Amino acid sequence: MTPGAKTLLARVGVLALGAAIWFCPVPEGLTPPAWHLFAIFAATIASVIVGAFPILTASVLALGISVLSGVLTPAKAYAGFSNGTILLIVVAFLVARAIVKCGLGQRLGHLVVSLFGRSTLGLGYSIFLLDAVIAPAFPSDTARSGVLYPLALSLAEGGGSKADEATRKKMGAYLMFCAMATLSLSSALWLTAMAGNPLGLEIGRTVGFKGSFGSWLLASSVPTLCALAVLPLLLYKIFPPEVKKTPEAPAAARKALAAMGPLSVEERIVAATFVVMVLLWALAGTLKIDLTAVAFAGLGVLLASGALTLKDIGQQGDVLATFMWFAILYTLSGQLNALGFMGFLGQRLGGALGGLPWLAAYVILVLAYVVLHYLFVSQTAHVLALFGVFLGVGAQLGVPVPVLGFALLFSTCYFSTITPQASSANVLVVGSGYLTQGELYRLGTITTVFNVLVLLIVGTPWLLLVAR
Amino acid sequence: MRLRPALRGVLLASAASLLGLRAGAGQPAAEGWRPFTATWTLSGQRSVLATEGERPASIVSLSGPLTITGGEGLGRGFLGQVIGFDDGAVLLVGRAVFSDEHGDRIFCTLKAESIGTGRRAAATVTGGTGRYAGLEGSFSFAWQYVVDTDGGEVTGRAMNIEGRTRQGPSAKGGGNP
Repeated sequence: MTPGAKTLLARVGVLALGAAIWFCPVPEGLTPPAWHLFAIFAATIASVIVGAFPILTASVLALGISVLSGVLTPAKAYAGFSNGTILLIVVAFLVARAIVKCGLGQRLGHLVVSLFGRSTLGLGYSIFLLDAVIAPAFPSDTARSGVLYPLALSLAEGGGSKADEATRKKMGAYLMFCAMATLSLSSALWLTAMAGNPLGLEIGRTVGFKGSFGSWLLASSVPTLCALAVLPLLLYKIFPPEVKKTPEAPAAARKALAAMGPLSVEERIVAATFVVMVLLWALAGTLKIDLTAVAFAGLGVLLASGALTLKDIGQQGDVLATFMWFAILYTLSGQLNALGFMGFLGQRLGGALGGLPWLAAYVILVLAYVVLHYLFVSQTAHVLALFGVFLGVGAQLGVPVPVLGFALLFSTCYFSTITPQASSANVLVVGSGYLTQGELYRLGTITTVFNVLVLLIVGTPWLLLVAR
Repeated sequence: MRLRPALRGVLLASAASLLGLRAGAGQPAAEGWRPFTATWTLSGQRSVLATEGERPASIVSLSGPLTITGGEGLGRGFLGQVIGFDDGAVLLVGRAVFSDEHGDRIFCTLKAESIGTGRRAAATVTGGTGRYAGLEGSFSFAWQYVVDTDGGEVTGRAMNIEGRTRQGPSAKGGGNP
């Protein structure tokens, strides 16, 4: 079959899937708009998975159909375009470009390579370790991705790996996915590393699930550190970079650093701006300031100083595409939740588990909770919609509440790569151009399966020991 | 032998029950009340306005699935939507609408303590459309949890909702719109 025929077949299949769901009788307990929006959303996600349409095309079509069919009002359908988190991603893209353009990124890359650069695997581990160390200070994994992305980009470009078909796999594609996968673990390691973690504890308190910074770290340490020790190597094996060994790279990097001399004025401006941004992101909760406003202020300083020009921004066409598809999927998923679809699924599933032994119920609840993230575009929204429902069901079935509570909240972090749109923290990497949609889905699924297996096999006995 | 009044009452009630003479048992159609239990998970937005007290006044707009867990006459579940005004001190008043898979709806008024974990609420069914035309009844619940997030989003869950409904006199002889 020719590629053209394959694509046509995929498009027909996706259209048939959407139509079949749309015209099925609405399940009892749902409303027609919720069911029809599910049909549109399922067809959209399926079309990206089977390669019927690129993600932007699928999203734009879905938005048009949702409004023209009357499933969503225009006001609701376009709400994602003013969402603060999505705007933060857009601005972080532009700030990262400034870091690379002025040479600061290259300098940063040389510094990391001089320390860890004997192999690409070493660079992968350095990204994971850096993220794990800085994570407790960042309550937003999206903001943290704004720190890791320029580093991965600089390391890739420094290694001669650009976002083009000829060189992206030298090391850039591997390092970029590391910058995405690391967030799934660092967010689970610390209570304060992801916005949904403390929200989950607040919800869980009502059914006797309590946690603190210390008890969270104790509970998460064994499964998360085990996964952290293996995941960079696993990704290296299944998605090997073309450049593996670089024994001479540390010395070359030190030499290049010396040749670069002291920081230029532009580098100093960008560095100072970025450091202040990072500090404000880290202290945003304490100072009660908005993360996106910090990003906009930083971008404003970079533009005013000339470190970034309007021409630079004009060259970032991918930013607009990323902004559009993510805002649309974010909106569709949010509306699916608002129309009661997510809660409906959770409650129906809970009702079907009656009579099972607690261990079987526990495994099914965790797995179902993870799989349902295919329908979400925000981890925090997932916690708010389903965590309380699943924890309540588990408690009724005799599952130890602290064990299930921690397992579900860790899963909320572990599944962050299950789809490219599963977390706003993925979007910078997804938009980098280093990874294809197919690679993102494949690697994301493998990472999620690995993380969840570690949680179930290693984490569950540990949780039974320390979280009862 | 003289029986204590309380014991005598129990025995008489038991005997009457066995004979089908318990009050109302022989006339369920006349009364027509059907009890139900449910759970309700809600999420939405809260817009706040400062007050002189500790808590702000707010307008809440919430929606989410109401799952019927027991009883009869109401199907398996609804999408429940609420709009309410919380005065920040003692009271929330509002309206709720429950829609089923056919688009048929049940309308309610809501009176509640200020929205928050553990607080109680009560609703009165004021009517409906389609198969719920002329429905009347009431239900009450306590919030298992209510969580506010930074962006004005609010999520809550009500467990152990208990209530009853019946077709009111206005529903007699049809009335589907």
